[in-house]
Amino acid sequence: MSQVTKPVADRLLGIVLIGLAAFVAVQAINLEVPFSYEPVGPRAFPLGLAILLAGLSLVLVFKPGADGEWPHKALAIRLLLVLGLLLAYAMLFTGLGFIPTSLMVVAALARLFGASNGKALITGVLLSAGSYVLFTEGLGIALPTGTWLAAFI
Amino acid sequence: MFDFLIEGFGVALTPLNLGLAFLGALLGTLFGALPGIGPINGIAILMPLAYTLGLPAESALILLAGIYTGAEYGGRMSSILLNVPGDAGAVMTTLDGHPLAKKGLAGPALGLSAVSSFVGATIAIIGLTLFAPLLAEVAVMFGPAEFFALMVFAFSSMSVMMGKDPIKTAIGAVLGVLIATVGVDSGTGVMRYTFGMPELYDGIDFVVMIIGLFAISEILLMLEHAHRKDGDGELPPLGRVFVSLKEVLYCKGAMWRSGLLGFIIGVLPGTGASVAGAVSYTTEKRLSDKHGTFGKGDMRGLAAPEAANNASAAGSFVPMLTLGIPGSGTTAVLLGALMLYNITPGPMMFTERPEVAGGLIASLYIGNIVLLALNLPLAGVFARVLTIPRWVLVPAIAILAFVGVYQLHSDLTAIYLMLLIGVFGYLLRKLGFSLAPVILGYVLGGLMEQNLRRALSISGGDVDILWQSGISLGLWIAAAALLVLPWLVPKLLAARSRRVG
Repeated sequence: MSQVTKPVADRLLGIVLIGLAAFVAVQAINLEVPFSYEPVGPRAFPLGLAILLAGLSLVLVFKPGADGEWPHKALAIRLLLVLGLLLAYAMLFTGLGFIPTSLMVVAALARLFGASNGKALITGVLLSAGSYVLFTEGLGIALPTGTWLAAFI
Repeated sequence: MFDFLIEGFGVALTPLNLGLAFLGALLGTLFGALPGIGPINGIAILMPLAYTLGLPAESALILLAGIYTGAEYGGRMSSILLNVPGDAGAVMTTLDGHPLAKKGLAGPALGLSAVSSFVGATIAIIGLTLFAPLLAEVAVMFGPAEFFALMVFAFSSMSVMMGKDPIKTAIGAVLGVLIATVGVDSGTGVMRYTFGMPELYDGIDFVVMIIGLFAISEILLMLEHAHRKDGDGELPPLGRVFVSLKEVLYCKGAMWRSGLLGFIIGVLPGTGASVAGAVSYTTEKRLSDKHGTFGKGDMRGLAAPEAANNASAAGSFVPMLTLGIPGSGTTAVLLGALMLYNITPGPMMFTERPEVAGGLIASLYIGNIVLLALNLPLAGVFARVLTIPRWVLVPAIAILAFVGVYQLHSDLTAIYLMLLIGVFGYLLRKLGFSLAPVILGYVLGGLMEQNLRRALSISGGDVDILWQSGISLGLWIAAAALLVLPWLVPKLLAARSRRVG
């Protein structure tokens, strides 16, 4: 993930997509199809798509467009941090419960998006508690209250 | 002939549906006005909530259509006030809208945009009312072969019209169709691309797909602008709040022409608000820019794209309701939403489910009036939404996305899948792809395969059936012409000018 001058992004993408097309095609050919009266079957459509995708990707390899602007290092790190946070949100969502998880993730996200510590904390408290009330009371959605905590008690 | 509309007003005017049209318009305007959230993101984020409410199909559709048209309205605020288009359809709005705001006429500019949006949308909704039942009568004659040809036509028209790079648009559509093949094959019961995961047997869930593709990728994309200071918290003064009748009348020609143009462009499958805005602006500039005022804050330069993109938003309901082929990425999302209710839009909908088709059209009339009534006096309040900092907005979107997916399945796999699709969407956007073809491919892919296989079952495997009828042959020729002409015409012109020179 760095800035590049030669148009490599599209070439690389083209090659990856050709690989994907090959994978799709092989998977389709290997499908075990029970006897049926239908003339086409489940293989033909994905196979056709794979051929189309490979053809289009070849064009991309030979006539790549200009590279877009890719994140510099500092931004890439923050990007991974945000992804990590969202992943952590997913992992803790049912275990720790909606309110504590949301509070932490919201505060951390707010911090990453430029809020000061205090503002991030206030945002976390207000958004997690506010949305909990809105979703459970207003919309009747059952949100996880935390299985880990329940196990302790 | 207009029985469906009368029945539709009966449906739309119940207190619940009237309230939902109002709520949709309000939520849509708010979400559309939020920085960086266009109509398609707004619908993606709010759609799961529509299901949670446990609404019947026509009510959910009324709510979503309200959000859609509301977001088209709301998206103009950041274009006019901050020079930041909320989505592709609003790019042309910045050209004359922002200079007007700089002149201290932000208030009248917002008012004018509301009035011209209203005029454009009204023209298109009337067009929809007149045109859709006629098209539905023709479409009843469509068999599987014709539908297959129609989808090929839709994809080729999309490749040419949508986005800068036709190859990438086509690849995006193919990827979308491929994603639609995941799951149990309905014809034979064979598992395709499920990798032994039971969660994938039913295919990749629609809500997971659009929330991942739009909301999560938006969060990642917003990070790039997290520290950019432009516009955050500093709005130009609104000036006068109301637009004067004289100013509106000054633009009436631009509104009429652009409304009609926008409707026609919206009806064509695959061409959405961005094309409508661009075409109408350049047309209007050619017709009425006598003193070189366009681009410097000419009111007609604001009225034209505003009327056109709202007209195209309503126009894109025509192919969606009559043929089941969405005219834009956003209508593709609405189409997918309908399919979740086991309603497949198409020619039969006007006869079999008139309450859905008519209710939707009637609610568009009502929603349009609600929007004008909301936006004229409250523009200043909605404009405040623009000052919401990203560090509040992003976590709020994250919560909505997580809860939206979680409440559908109470299942973490769906959330992981959503994150994965989000990264996929982010990479696609960074690589210069537009997401609309992907979602169109995903929504149409299943139907496309079904129709192809049904057609070939009828003919016993003979592929000639695909172009035997006049309708399908015409569609194939039109599809081929669309792909070849943009490449051929410049070459022919060049050859001709060489001969002349």
